[in-house]
Amino acid sequence: MKTTAILLSTKMAARLSRLFGRGGGQALPGLIAEKLDPHLAGTLARGLKHGVILVTGTNGKTTTTKLIAAMLTANGEHVLTNQTGSNLKRGITSSLITGTSVTGKLPYTVGLFEVDEASLRRVAPDLMPKQIVVLNLFRDQLDRYGELDTTAALIGEGIASTDAELYLNADDPLVANLAKYASDPTRVNFFGIEGLPVSGAHGHTTVADSDRCPNCKSKLTFDRVFYGHIGHYRCPNGDFARPRPIVAITNVAKADIHGSHFTVAISGKRSDMVFPLPGTYNLYNALATLSLAHGLGIATPLSATTLAHTEAAFGRVEKVNIWGREIYLLLIKNPAGFSQVIETFLAQGANKHILMAINDLAADGRDVSWLWDVKIETLTSTKPVIVTTGTRGLDMSLRLHYAGIEAENRSDLSVALETFINSIPSGATAYVLPTYTALIQIRKLMSKLTHMNKI
Amino acid sequence: MSVQLNEFSDNSASQAAYVDRRGDHMTKKIVIAHLYPSEMNIYGDMGNVITLVKRLEWRGIGAEVRNVEVGQPFNFDECDLIFGGGGQDSGQQLVAADLLRRGNTIRQLAHDTMPMLLICGLYQLFGHGFTLSDGQELQGIEVFAANTVGGSVRMIGNITVDSPFGRLVGFENHSGQTILDRSQEAIGKVIKGFGNNPTSHVEGAITFNAIGTYMHGPVLPKNPAMADHLLLAALTRKYGDSKLSTIDDGLARSAASVANARPQ
Repeated sequence: MKTTAILLSTKMAARLSRLFGRGGGQALPGLIAEKLDPHLAGTLARGLKHGVILVTGTNGKTTTTKLIAAMLTANGEHVLTNQTGSNLKRGITSSLITGTSVTGKLPYTVGLFEVDEASLRRVAPDLMPKQIVVLNLFRDQLDRYGELDTTAALIGEGIASTDAELYLNADDPLVANLAKYASDPTRVNFFGIEGLPVSGAHGHTTVADSDRCPNCKSKLTFDRVFYGHIGHYRCPNGDFARPRPIVAITNVAKADIHGSHFTVAISGKRSDMVFPLPGTYNLYNALATLSLAHGLGIATPLSATTLAHTEAAFGRVEKVNIWGREIYLLLIKNPAGFSQVIETFLAQGANKHILMAINDLAADGRDVSWLWDVKIETLTSTKPVIVTTGTRGLDMSLRLHYAGIEAENRSDLSVALETFINSIPSGATAYVLPTYTALIQIRKLMSKLTHMNKI
Repeated sequence: MSVQLNEFSDNSASQAAYVDRRGDHMTKKIVIAHLYPSEMNIYGDMGNVITLVKRLEWRGIGAEVRNVEVGQPFNFDECDLIFGGGGQDSGQQLVAADLLRRGNTIRQLAHDTMPMLLICGLYQLFGHGFTLSDGQELQGIEVFAANTVGGSVRMIGNITVDSPFGRLVGFENHSGQTILDRSQEAIGKVIKGFGNNPTSHVEGAITFNAIGTYMHGPVLPKNPAMADHLLLAALTRKYGDSKLSTIDDGLARSAASVANARPQ
């Protein structure tokens, strides 16, 4: 079948699917195209003048992709990107099909896609990305991927199939070690944090996911830990250490739930940045963006302006107002992310109102064991007021019970949300912590009560 | 950089009550040996330790957790219960040789009725041995008469098992297939899920008070009867206790019943 014919039929399928109300039809064209021509994505992507950029890693893909898209747009590019959650091969293929006109014209200059960690090796050989950004590697939905070492090897395989410029987190040993898969050592660019204010530096809120030397398997020595296994490390036998980053945060002047003021050194030249997304984890998303911007030759003042005007991605620090209550929506999907949300939003103050919505569908990860890898005990002394819900809300309640916190459980999510909102004192701030599919349900319910931005 | 257990414990009840072995109002205390928490600690394994500690504290019994690390000396005779979790393949290979050096001691303690709970990766190493899919062999310490062979099928999903501790619920995630010798008792019959391997329909192994299982979840919070079996065995062995005071496990039962109803 010729490319035009495949384009037509897949576009038709998407339209029919939308017409009959079967989902957004987002992944369907890609799914059909994969059957008709498995290399269609690559063929279409060749129409992009500035090629393809891929973003992967466990946490921060969506936020970082959004940041990079804003920066590229400000720099005059026409950016084709994939929709939230469609980060498997078929989702990316779908974006390319949807973006291409029936006459085969692709009115974009660059493709920017977030890619699921295990899918990179399926996507990269076709798209031949010019740049690959890897953020971090944490335990996440392990029931799907097997183990963390396996995930790193899968990403490595994807990288090795390209000659892309790499942008790697120097502070994550597993990510830094991916440099060995680069087509050429000069194509590796590291970003990292040199230091954080004391308040943010005691990051031992989870079990470290990866604290072994990739070469000799000895336990790495950490001089600094920012969170989880992210920090300044070296192998005691001297055969592996944190590489020196080219783009680095040298100072954080202010950090609270409204964001950070920080100083970044780019090839030794310092600039001050204002960034409205809170938490250490978001500093790394900003760094990845700045690092890529530097690599693409985008002027620092332009990146600074872009960062300062950032809005959070869907469900990642999204703020909504319902009946005079300010509610933060904070997606949780693994121990590292959950711990960062606790540290950034919940560990200070007292009697905070929190809704924890835990589902165990495929997109959430079917195993909820990870709730026990989060140091919930950090919250105990703050006496939070918690409602639990979701298909595994009771697992959350039980975890809280063992941390000395008694939560109220409502199995029905809409009842839980209503109970929760009613319990928040007027004018107060509250927090909703949903897993992925619970977030979708909650946003839908909330959109009946208030205006929600389109995702 | 593993999490220290004292961070999980409020300690108020236990430490106040535990004065001194020689003191007038000596209170009981159970010492838990946690095998290789740096390498073998995955899928919420720490939840099992939290459960054991809290259920002791709630009963006014002292609890102490001592970590067993590769290459470090450790006296198992000062302990009353052994726990070990699962890990990545790389972690399992790191601890196998060290465990073998402690094998005789641990096996004798198992035969002396010391309670033990081994999950996934360490369950495999408590058998005859584990032949990995690449042909490499990890020798086990023979607490269980069971052989494990690496397979290509990953057995993932919710699992329920009928056992002497009642209906157990958990989540399994393994590619190793464990085959029990004829003489080896299993924990129970698989109602939903895979268990030891895809064909035998049994899960885990029990020798005296040593329990090996593939159930994560973690297994103890939603199966408090199993947790209390281990704790009572420890208290019987150390103090001659014959029963435990009851704890309200309504929440655990509700959570277990939800887990039981989830699809595999």
